[in-house]
Amino acid sequence: MADASTKRAPSESAEEAAGNGTGSLEELRHLILAPEQEALDRLQQRVADPQSRTADVSDVVAEAIQLRREQDGDNALRDALAPTIESSLRESVRKDPAAIADALFPVMGPAIRRSILETLRAFLESFNQVMEQSLSWQGLQWRVEALRTGRRFSEVALLHSLVFRVEQIFLIHKKTGLPLGHAVAPAVATEDPSLVSGMLSAIQDFVRDSFHTPSDQGVGRMNVGDLDVWIEHGPQGSLAAVIRGIAPHDLRDRLAETLEAIHRQYAAELERFDGNTGAFQSVNPILAQCLEARYKQGAPRRGRRYVWATAGVIVLLVGGWIGWRWWQYHRWSELVSTLREQPGIVITSFGREHGRFAIRGLRDPLAADPAEFVKDATLDPKSAAFHWGAYYALDDAIVAKRATAELAPPQSTVLMVENGTLLPRGNAPPIWISDLKRRALEIPGIRAVDFSHLAIEDTAAFGIARHEIMNTVITFPLGSPELSAADVASLRTVAPTLQHLFVPPDGHADTILEVVGHTDSSGAELINESLSQRRAEQVARMLAKLGVPETSLRVKGVGTAQPLRPDDSEENRRLNRSVTFLVPVPQSE
Amino acid sequence: MIQKKICMLGSFAVGKTSLVRRFVDSIYSDTYHTTVGVKVDKKVVALDDREVTLVLWDLYGEDDFQKMRWSYFRGASGYLLVADGTRRATFDKALELEERARQEAGVIPFVFLVNKCDLAEEWDVDGGFESQLAAKSWTVLRSSAKTGENVEEAFRQLARKMLG
Repeated sequence: MADASTKRAPSESAEEAAGNGTGSLEELRHLILAPEQEALDRLQQRVADPQSRTADVSDVVAEAIQLRREQDGDNALRDALAPTIESSLRESVRKDPAAIADALFPVMGPAIRRSILETLRAFLESFNQVMEQSLSWQGLQWRVEALRTGRRFSEVALLHSLVFRVEQIFLIHKKTGLPLGHAVAPAVATEDPSLVSGMLSAIQDFVRDSFHTPSDQGVGRMNVGDLDVWIEHGPQGSLAAVIRGIAPHDLRDRLAETLEAIHRQYAAELERFDGNTGAFQSVNPILAQCLEARYKQGAPRRGRRYVWATAGVIVLLVGGWIGWRWWQYHRWSELVSTLREQPGIVITSFGREHGRFAIRGLRDPLAADPAEFVKDATLDPKSAAFHWGAYYALDDAIVAKRATAELAPPQSTVLMVENGTLLPRGNAPPIWISDLKRRALEIPGIRAVDFSHLAIEDTAAFGIARHEIMNTVITFPLGSPELSAADVASLRTVAPTLQHLFVPPDGHADTILEVVGHTDSSGAELINESLSQRRAEQVARMLAKLGVPETSLRVKGVGTAQPLRPDDSEENRRLNRSVTFLVPVPQSE
Repeated sequence: MIQKKICMLGSFAVGKTSLVRRFVDSIYSDTYHTTVGVKVDKKVVALDDREVTLVLWDLYGEDDFQKMRWSYFRGASGYLLVADGTRRATFDKALELEERARQEAGVIPFVFLVNKCDLAEEWDVDGGFESQLAAKSWTVLRSSAKTGENVEEAFRQLARKMLG
C-alpha cells in the first residue's frame, strides 16, 4: 500500500500542474482502476520477492515435475537435473564423504550382489556359447584356427559367433581433437585415447583439406579388415565408434541420438572447453550405452541336443580309449609276468614310453625268444619295444642248453644240469667223452661233471677195426728191424680197416694207435730196447705210407718188457720178435 | 584432468621430430609425417601440484615438396616454434610461421626454440637474437635434441604459459 501511495503522488503533482483541470478524470480513473492496480502491485511485489516466489514454486514443484514427466517422459527432466545433481553429489562427497557413505550403505550390499550376479550371468552365457561351439565340428575348426593363429579359443569362437560388437567409443572435441570421453568393451586392447583421437581428427582434417569439403562434414566411415570406424559429427564434437563385424544401420541412428543428447546436455561445457575434461567425467556412462554387441543365434534345442550327443560320443570315445589302454596294459603286464618266469630273462622295468610299452632287462642269448611269447599272446609287437642287455644266466636249464650248444653231444647222449653239475646220460663215443672231460668245466655255470650215467659207446666199425688191429702181429727175423714182404702185405690188408678208427661216424678223429715194438729175450737188453723201437718205427712209417695219420701214431719200443708169450720156445720167441698194436679207449670216471 | 593440444612448427629438418622423440615415447611411426602430414604424441607434465596432458601434434615441416597443413593447427593451445641455428633460412621461416600462426589462431602461447645448440660453432645466426626477440616478449631457448638441453624445459615453460 505504501508503494501505491507512492505511485499516486506523481499523479497528484500532475494534477496541480495542470491546474486541477483533469482532477476529476484522475479521481475517476483511480476509482475504477485502483483495485486492479493494487492487485498488480501486489503481484509485482510477490514476483520480485525471492522468498514469496520460492514459497509459490514450492507449492507446485512436485506437481510440475509430475506433469513434466507425463508430458515428455523422463529424458528431458533427467538431462536437466543430472548435471546439478552430479555436481551436488560431488561437492557433498568432497565435504563429508561419511554422509553419502551412510546413505549408500543400505544399498551397497544388494548393488554389489546384483553386479556380481550380472557379471556371472554374462560369463555363464559366454561360457555356454563357447562350450556349445567347442563341441561341434565348427568348434574343432575354430580350435585349429586358434592353434594356427596363436589366439585363445574363446576369442576365436567369440569373433566367429559375433554379428557385430562396438568395441570402443570416442567422444572427440571437434576443434582441438582432444578426447572428452572414451568407453571400451571388456577385453578389448586399446591405444591411448588422446593419441587415437588426435590422429582421427588429423585424418578428418586431412580429408577435408584434400577434397575441399565443408568444415561441418567429414569422414563418416573408415574400414580396416573386419573393423569399421563410424564417425558421427556434431557442431562441437564427434563420436567415433570402433565396430567389429557388420553393424545394423540403426546403430548409426543411436550414435547420432547419443551425440545429440551429449550436445544438449553439455552444450555450455563444449562451447567453453579449454582442455579441462573434468566437466565431462559423467559422459563415459552415456558412451558405454553404445557398446552394443550381437551374436549369432543358433537353434537352442537342436543345438543343445547336438551338444549332449556330441558330449556323449566324446565320453564314450574317451571311456573306450581309457578302457582299451587299460586292457592293453593288463595284457602286456601278463606277458611280462610270463617273461619273468622264464630262465635266462630278468625284467628290470616295464612301463610306457612315448606312447609305447617299454620292457627293459637282461637276457641270456640262449633264453626263450620274447617275440615268440608276444606272438603267442596275439599282441601287437609294434606297440612295445624290448631293450635287452646280454648276460650269462646260471639257471640249470640255460646252463644245460649252453653245454649242449658247446659240447654237441651225440644223439645217444642227453645233457642235464642240476645245481651246476653236468649230468650226461646215455652212451657216447670215447673220443667225445674225452672232449667232454677236457672242456666241460670251461663252460659258464658248470662246476662239476657226473659221469655215473654215461656209458662208453663203441661203434661196430670202430670195434672191428680196433679188434683187428689189436690182433695183428708183425713178426721179424732175429735181430732185424726190416719188414718182410709178407708183413708188408699183411699191413696193406689191414690198412683199409684202420681207417674206421680215424673216420668213424661219431668223430673219433683223435683216436691214438700205439705201435709197440717187442724182442725176444736173446741178446742184450739195451740192444733189444733199441731194436724194438726201430721195429715199431719201421711199421709206423709203413702205416703212414698206407694212409694212417702220422699224428695218430704213437711209437714205442718195450724190448722184452711186454713179451707176447713166455719166451720158452722157438715159436714163442718168433712171436715175441714182433710189433703189436694198441688202441686205448677212454674210460668213464 | 587438463589436456592441451600443442603443435610443433618449423621448417623441414630443424629437429621437431627429434625434440618430440626426446620428450615422449611414440606409438605411431614417423612415416605419418610424410603420409598424413602429422604425428600425434602425448606427454604428461607435472606442474606444481597439477598434471597437464600435452597432446603433441608434430606437423610436417614445410619444404619445397609439401606444404604445411594449417588445418592441423586449429584448436591448438600453444606451440613450439623451432628453427635450426645452423641454417639462417629456418630462422627467418620461423618468424613467418609465427605471423601465420597469429593469423590462424590469434595470440596463443608459444616458445621459440633455436635448435642444434650442440653445433654452436656452426651457427649461422647472430648471437643477439635472444635480446631482440625478448623485446617482443618472446620466450627464446637454445635447445639440442641430441643432448637434451632445454627440451624438457621448453615443454614445461610452454605448459606453464598455457595454464596462465
